[in-house]
Amino acid sequence: MALVAAVLVLTACSEGGRVKDPDTGDGTAGDNSGYTIAMITHETPGDSFWDRVRAGAEQAAKNTGVDLKYSNDPDAGKQAVLIQNAVDSRVDGIATTLVTPDALAGSVKTATQAGIPVVGLNAGIDDYRRLGVSMYFGSDETRAGTAAGERIAAEGAKHPLCVIHQAGSVSLEARCEGVRSAVPDTENLQVNGADDAAVVSTLQAKLQQDPSIDYIVSLGAPIALDAGKAKESGDSQAKIITFDLNQETAQGVKDGTIEFSIDQQPYMQGFMAVTSLYLNLKNGNDLGGGEAVLTGPSFVDGDNIGQILPFVQNGTR
Amino acid sequence: MTESLVAGSPNPLSHRLFARPEIGATAAAGVILVFFLAAAPAFRSGGSFFTVLYQSSTIGIVAIGVGLLMIGGEFDLSAGVIVTTAGLANSMFCWWFGIDLWVGALLSLAFCLFIGFVNGYLVMRTGIPSFLITLGTFFVLQGANLGLTKVVTGSVTSPDISRMDGYPLLEGVFASNFDAGGVTVWGTVLWWLGFTALAAWVLQRTRTGNWVFAIGGSADSARAVGVPVVRTKIGLFMTVSFLGWFVGMHTLYRFNTLQAGNGVGNEFLYIIAAVVGGTLLTGGYGNAIGVGIGAFIFGTTSLGIVYAGWDPNWFKAFLGVMLLLAVLVNLYVKSLATSTRLLRDSPGKADDA
Amino acid sequence: MTLIEMREVGKTYGPIRALGGISLSVRAGEVTCVLGDNGAGKSTLIKIMSGLLEHTEGQLMVDGEELVFSSPRQALSRGIATVYQDLAVVPLMEVWRNFFLGAELRSGRFPLAGLRIREMRRIADEELRKMGITVKDINQPIGTLSGGQRQCVAIARAVYFGARVLILDEPTAALGVKQSGVVLKYTAAARDAGLGVVFITHNPHHAYLVGDRFLVLKRGRVELDSRRDEISLNDLTQEMAGGDELDALAHELRRTTK
Repeated sequence: MALVAAVLVLTACSEGGRVKDPDTGDGTAGDNSGYTIAMITHETPGDSFWDRVRAGAEQAAKNTGVDLKYSNDPDAGKQAVLIQNAVDSRVDGIATTLVTPDALAGSVKTATQAGIPVVGLNAGIDDYRRLGVSMYFGSDETRAGTAAGERIAAEGAKHPLCVIHQAGSVSLEARCEGVRSAVPDTENLQVNGADDAAVVSTLQAKLQQDPSIDYIVSLGAPIALDAGKAKESGDSQAKIITFDLNQETAQGVKDGTIEFSIDQQPYMQGFMAVTSLYLNLKNGNDLGGGEAVLTGPSFVDGDNIGQILPFVQNGTR
Repeated sequence: MTESLVAGSPNPLSHRLFARPEIGATAAAGVILVFFLAAAPAFRSGGSFFTVLYQSSTIGIVAIGVGLLMIGGEFDLSAGVIVTTAGLANSMFCWWFGIDLWVGALLSLAFCLFIGFVNGYLVMRTGIPSFLITLGTFFVLQGANLGLTKVVTGSVTSPDISRMDGYPLLEGVFASNFDAGGVTVWGTVLWWLGFTALAAWVLQRTRTGNWVFAIGGSADSARAVGVPVVRTKIGLFMTVSFLGWFVGMHTLYRFNTLQAGNGVGNEFLYIIAAVVGGTLLTGGYGNAIGVGIGAFIFGTTSLGIVYAGWDPNWFKAFLGVMLLLAVLVNLYVKSLATSTRLLRDSPGKADDA
Repeated sequence: MTLIEMREVGKTYGPIRALGGISLSVRAGEVTCVLGDNGAGKSTLIKIMSGLLEHTEGQLMVDGEELVFSSPRQALSRGIATVYQDLAVVPLMEVWRNFFLGAELRSGRFPLAGLRIREMRRIADEELRKMGITVKDINQPIGTLSGGQRQCVAIARAVYFGARVLILDEPTAALGVKQSGVVLKYTAAARDAGLGVVFITHNPHHAYLVGDRFLVLKRGRVELDSRRDEISLNDLTQEMAGGDELDALAHELRRTTK
């Protein structure tokens, strides 16, 4: 034990470690407004995307003095139960993702019937109205895919590879469909997103098999980094674009290893969902004029990365 | 006494050969290799071959431990997540305290060995099947990976370690590659071959290996003749966690950051590699070379489908078929080994069985 | 020469007494038969002698020294070897590996020291031949041998490793007549080689063929303790089959069939 302690002392102060005493205060806490808002998502634990949704929601809750209850389950049935739980515990408002609208319709209906306002976020843009949900904050996956496809088509893309890192995900398939609508010769590739080494070697194999691939469309930030590794190992000249952002991909955009990122601004999704519920409860407001409020696609590229990078490092973008 | 016991020539070579655990897997690997060489032009290069070997090695290293453990009659479902646990423990510990990475790597090793010990100790102490105990560990680690990472970094990815002290040295040990005649060879491939050779030696040529077979084949018989069953089994669980740690280190030093949710599902790939390689699910039979070949089959098929330009969605279905075939072959081999069929088939005089 | 002596040995599990007041002695060159019905305490008794269970009462003396065994390894090191009916061998392992299991020959003491495989194969083959057992191939899985053959290999193993006391747990229970005969021959051979043999069985006929002393257990207690010249096979059978209880049962059955 003493030895370990000695080693720790001796080797302390390594480069690149935690920055001590980080600046914590951002925004002032509002007075306690007395509202309780439940946010329920289909987050698969371990996806950094949801960290940002949650960070946004928590900041909004702090600003408005709302008590935020966050829960999540990737399984549609269990997510429905979580919504039901929120109704039973008589929360004042519910923000939920609607990735599987039909499975959630029943629970959402009990909520609206009980007079609890429900807003949708992130997924369900085509179905939220049908379910009686009043507002929606998110991006349109197909439209985002199309926008990305049009942009790379303008840059001369002929044969992009769209990398699906989660089997059977509707929203990922929709993004690839969007890209394909702009560049017809788009090919999909399924990889095991839970194993970085497997992603790299699968991409490497694909690039070797088909040298005509000129763009790699990554649908999640970590996959873009794996794509970079795969490119290094071969002699492919394919360019990388990605959906979503994290610190490393933002740095990649800055360094030019990643062309651009299509950001759907998860922080804003969480932030707006809670804030709009608060305003609805407090002041009867609604946002969007009956239309979905689009938080994306927002392009992050060499031109604006300088402004955005600090926010990414802060975990808010 | 020859009325009860047979005198005669040794078994024909064909029988001896057929009774070797890896024979089915070797044949299958050969067929699959030839198949993809024919079907996928992109597969026919040294570079592709070493990409396949790399893919095989990242599964194969842990699969060796899982295979040994299965020969010893136990399962470890936590083997997939412990890889991520190892990397996260290393990076977050160093990041939080600002210490050298190699200290963190050693602490992470100690921690992983401790988890292996706990798995083994609980299994032996309670008599609850290892399937359940390690299922518990699996969930605990999965949750702790996510929860602790979130607490420490405020996100579910671990901090980037590439600028921290000790990085170049550890990267050299765990995640280096070199150029050999125009193809990139990853260090893990050599480690994989080395670990496989070591495991093969231990299993076939050492007392420990003898004990592993014995405790898997019949733990009570082994105990009755003085084999330290508890110690050997706990050692096997710790071997799995050691190899998990090793791959965790590779993943960390190659990718610099880790997703806290990764590694889930790989425990089944390890088991599949072991079973396809001829390891008996019920213990007592198998060998390390077979497990290596099982991992190679995994690597070849997972990438061969991509090289051939087919839809990789089919890969899992293919893997399932391989697993079923392997199980059938194993079942047949076991029935050969435990029945008197060998005696009856041979030209020697039949006995009284 | 007395190898093992038990005085008033017993085993309790909390309030439950599995065995009590057992006194017996195992002498070199003698076969001590322990008979009893299922649940009579035979297996508890041999587990105490072989180190799988610790006794809770009385004294167990090996070579005159009082001991409590805490592991089979400890009993083995005192020359007490046990051949269990169903756990004599590991079926999937080769004959020679089974023969040397737990006492492997190594070319050094370091952890990765190689086994002396060639030598072990040769010795196993020789030792089995010496006892008149010829295995077709010393490399075949022992599971391919018949039940009687496996018992014989296990006995040969115990003899080779210098066992002075050989405990045989129901060696003939699952065997046919012919194979039982073979096992009994090896039992006699071990006795003639000067080993003290403890032969556990519920078959008085088998016991009487090789036994020098007979101990009948009933509900964890000694019902009968007798030397061979003091008892006939008929008496032993009668005692084993239930003695007076059997008479009562016969009486009852006669009445009901009337």
